[in-house]
Amino acid sequence: MGRKNSKSDAARQAAASEHSLLAAVARRDRAAFSELYRTYQPRLHGYLRRMVANVVIVEEVVDDVMFVVWTDAKKFRGNSAVSSWIFGIAYRKALTALRKEGRYQAPLVSQAGEHAAAEGAPADLELLHAGLAQLSADHRQVVELTYFCGYSYQEIAEIAQCPVNTVKTRMFHARRRLKLLLPQLAGEAGEQNRDHA
Amino acid sequence: MTTHEPMSHDQAIELLPWLVNESLQAEEHSAVSEHARNCVICRRELEELKVLQQSIDSAASQAVLPEPDMRRINARIDQDLARANSGASILAAINDFFRSPWRVAFAVQTLALVAVTFVWLQPRDVEPEFVTLTTPQTLPAGQYLRVVFDPMLDEAGVALLLDEARLSIAKGPSERGVYTLRFAEGVSADQQTGIANGLRADGRVLFLQTVEGTVK
Repeated sequence: MGRKNSKSDAARQAAASEHSLLAAVARRDRAAFSELYRTYQPRLHGYLRRMVANVVIVEEVVDDVMFVVWTDAKKFRGNSAVSSWIFGIAYRKALTALRKEGRYQAPLVSQAGEHAAAEGAPADLELLHAGLAQLSADHRQVVELTYFCGYSYQEIAEIAQCPVNTVKTRMFHARRRLKLLLPQLAGEAGEQNRDHA
Repeated sequence: MTTHEPMSHDQAIELLPWLVNESLQAEEHSAVSEHARNCVICRRELEELKVLQQSIDSAASQAVLPEPDMRRINARIDQDLARANSGASILAAINDFFRSPWRVAFAVQTLALVAVTFVWLQPRDVEPEFVTLTTPQTLPAGQYLRVVFDPMLDEAGVALLLDEARLSIAKGPSERGVYTLRFAEGVSADQQTGIANGLRADGRVLFLQTVEGTVK
């Protein structure tokens, strides 16, 4: 279910509550669906906004994900966390969006910079966004799901439907690539700042 | 004192991101933490990752997310439910219809009628036979006459002559005007000879030949 909460009683209660909500959604309970939507919309929006550049498309993808939750709730077997199941849907939807034409491409470095700056993010986070934009989709997903969403590597394996070792390997390569990219991007940013000055 | 196996550097450094996001299981958490305490490389890496994680958490807490707007998703769900309901109502109507045995019988009868009509309206596979005067035809075994009449004799004259001689056309006329004629039933062999001789003598007949057996 994600960072810090996975072991706590509160997290277990929340997980049980989400299972009940999803079971109610499977019985076509609109109120339960609304509650689930309100819980997941911000998390999905944040996750997808970092993956897909266009905000309008992000909202469409969030709705696509939640519509799959509505239609496929009865298929949920309960052998994973509801959160992993929903983010698994989001992961595949995000990959599909990224594989589509140019308008679905990952944020460019400058866009990522603007995006982070607009949120008042620290400079190193701004650089991280720029670096992430240059990673492959699979590597970026693992970093996103770990640092931004707080998932364990086992949960990421469930979400991405791959072995846990693959998750670890992807993270290893992503970290190595970011270590090379971030100083370069920091240097470019420094040069740009000097030019502006 | 620890109860777990010491973790190798490779294993520990691989798991540092999940130590930082606090999602490791208790045993792994303590094994990685213990390794990091004694490993300069992992300790440095861990510090960097912690700073990064704090930045991300801080930015996430400041991020302004749009209020959930459920209008579009609700519209899609309404459509989905309407579709499901229309399917269910059709099924219910069919179910109601088949509750009465008379209706079942009526439905079966109608279906049978439709099936028969369908089969009846299907184009036949049998090709119509195309026959010309020159198409070879086999007549059953018997006594026949091959005759060529005077070309001046018209159709009515031929018919009259054949009636008089108790003959009928079995085949023909051919391209060259040859008729194959059959004797009427009950005409004896002697009578046949007599009829043949009478026709030979008739001026309206230019040629006559008796044929016995199968005629092609």
